[in-house]
Amino acid sequence: MNPRRDKAAGTASQTSQVRPVWSLSAHAGRLITLALAGLIIAVITRRPEFAGVAAPAVLLLAARRPERPERIGVSASPSAMRLSEDEQADLQVAVTGYGDYSVELLVHPRFAVVPGPPDGPADGGPADGGPGGGPVTGPGGQPAAELGGGPGDGASRLPFHIGRSGRRSLGVLEITLRDRWRLTEGRVTVELPTVDCYPRPAAQQTRVVLSRLPSRLGDHPSRSSGEGMEFTGVREFVPGDRQRRINWPATTRRGRLQLNTFAAERTQNVVIIADASSDVGEPGSTPLDLAFRGSAAAAHAYLAVRDRVGLVVYQRSVRWIAPGLGARHYYRIMDLMLADPRATGRLSLGGGITRLPRAALPPGSLILVFSPLLDRRLVETLRDLRERGFSILIIDVLNAGPSGRTDGLSRLARRIWRMEQEAIRFSLRELGIPLVRWDGVQSLDEPLAPYTRRVMVSRR
Amino acid sequence: MTAARSAVAAGLLAAGCVAWSAIPLTAGGAGIALLTTAIACAVFSAARLALGATPVEPVAFLNPVVRAGRSMADLARVLPWAEGMVVAVLVLEALHRSPPWHTGLLGAALLAYLFATHLAETWARPSVLRPQAPLIAAGLGLLALAVGSAALPAGTGSTADLIVVLAALAAIVVGGLALPR
Repeated sequence: MNPRRDKAAGTASQTSQVRPVWSLSAHAGRLITLALAGLIIAVITRRPEFAGVAAPAVLLLAARRPERPERIGVSASPSAMRLSEDEQADLQVAVTGYGDYSVELLVHPRFAVVPGPPDGPADGGPADGGPGGGPVTGPGGQPAAELGGGPGDGASRLPFHIGRSGRRSLGVLEITLRDRWRLTEGRVTVELPTVDCYPRPAAQQTRVVLSRLPSRLGDHPSRSSGEGMEFTGVREFVPGDRQRRINWPATTRRGRLQLNTFAAERTQNVVIIADASSDVGEPGSTPLDLAFRGSAAAAHAYLAVRDRVGLVVYQRSVRWIAPGLGARHYYRIMDLMLADPRATGRLSLGGGITRLPRAALPPGSLILVFSPLLDRRLVETLRDLRERGFSILIIDVLNAGPSGRTDGLSRLARRIWRMEQEAIRFSLRELGIPLVRWDGVQSLDEPLAPYTRRVMVSRR
Repeated sequence: MTAARSAVAAGLLAAGCVAWSAIPLTAGGAGIALLTTAIACAVFSAARLALGATPVEPVAFLNPVVRAGRSMADLARVLPWAEGMVVAVLVLEALHRSPPWHTGLLGAALLAYLFATHLAETWARPSVLRPQAPLIAAGLGLLALAVGSAALPAGTGSTADLIVVLAALAAIVVGGLALPR
């Protein structure tokens, strides 16, 4: 599922008038140095050839013209305000009123924002038509694109993608104006907007289905008979049954009217717990990233079959959204993942998940937990939930361990840590909580396969 | 790629300018000091082009070695190495009595070095210099004029030399004023 695009983003930005800060360019400073040094040496040594050395520099400096645009119009807006990780988008930059100056655009990206190669000017803009030629790019601070001189208006598209989910500021756009002699520079700095980057959902085609489902119409065949599509057996006809379901071959064999029975189709409530309390390891593949990607995949997979999906984010505080249906609910879940825990915290960790309202954690729900199990309080909460009869499935996303020195004491400490982790997992399995490992690379279907091939028995 | 080519050209021109101005090295201690200064400035100027712009990543969480390296790189970026090399090379050239054409060639090479440095640091293509081509040609013509006037046998004494210098200066100023604004 592609994240919803904000179609209005490209046109919503307004052109702001900004005043450039003008100064002599470094090139002009070097020419002045050459000219002054040549002339001074010529006068001191009385050698006219040194005055000749200064001549080209003096000529070039004499060509500098004082006319400059007082203000230029700048608008910068991303092509989409909502992206998923590594989804390519464009920053559309338009500059107006720069006269015959050449314009150079340079993006200083913030954390996780990766500028991509520009793919040419936007439609309707005379970008790259000036003396600067085509755009050049590079991550080391070199210009991202150039707008040509000429009519004074230009636009360019600067591709970028975001490598890690979150609410990301794109960075700062630096605009440099240069006159045709490259002697005067005007600089403008523009703060770029913030973009919501949703976690990239992992691949998941199959689903875990509980053996007991609430009596609400859905897509999962349940144990009880009903009006579904899946054939479950044959029974004797009783008055009131539908005649169209009479099984005539069985009726002929037994001599009495026989009826086909079908499984009732029910929905299930799925509550996903994303453990965002630990963010260790390489940025982009930390347990936090994996937990969000797995949660996004699970939410997408279950919403696709009209299950009701809720989310609980376990971080500094517990944030939740009650189970709901539909594509719009998917974006509510995504927005909850991106929400700032300081701004939207709804329950302190002291309260914990066990104090969530009944609407957020309906009885009989399937609880999928994406967690590295590093937080003891979450482990205790899961034990408590299991003892209250919830069906829990833990997807272990721990993919990093303590690193450090290689001396004997450090090795011993790491070994004890690993044993503690194994003990935590063993105790959870002993409580009847299934636990699978997921590395974030493979499809979620692989670790979940033992539980998706048949219904998962919900024990109370 | 264009910027890399410009940076290589700037480095080669800097090396050529230093070598051209240093030969023959006859000025003793002052010459050695100037040559050292010119070489250092040329090296740091090339390093500045190779380092590029200041990275935007915060340095707060870097280890001390990397932070020290960043500080050195920032030093290379901040100081005007190219200007220093130009001054050192011209003074070095003035220390020994070389023929006027020798100085003229050095001036042309220095101008090319400055343009190559500018192209490398702004990641611009050489075509951006096209509007300046007539001025550069006129400047090189004046340079040739000055070299020629220096090579011609002039009157004797310091006054004659001073007149030659003033004439060259006047030619430059007139050339600059005559340009359309």
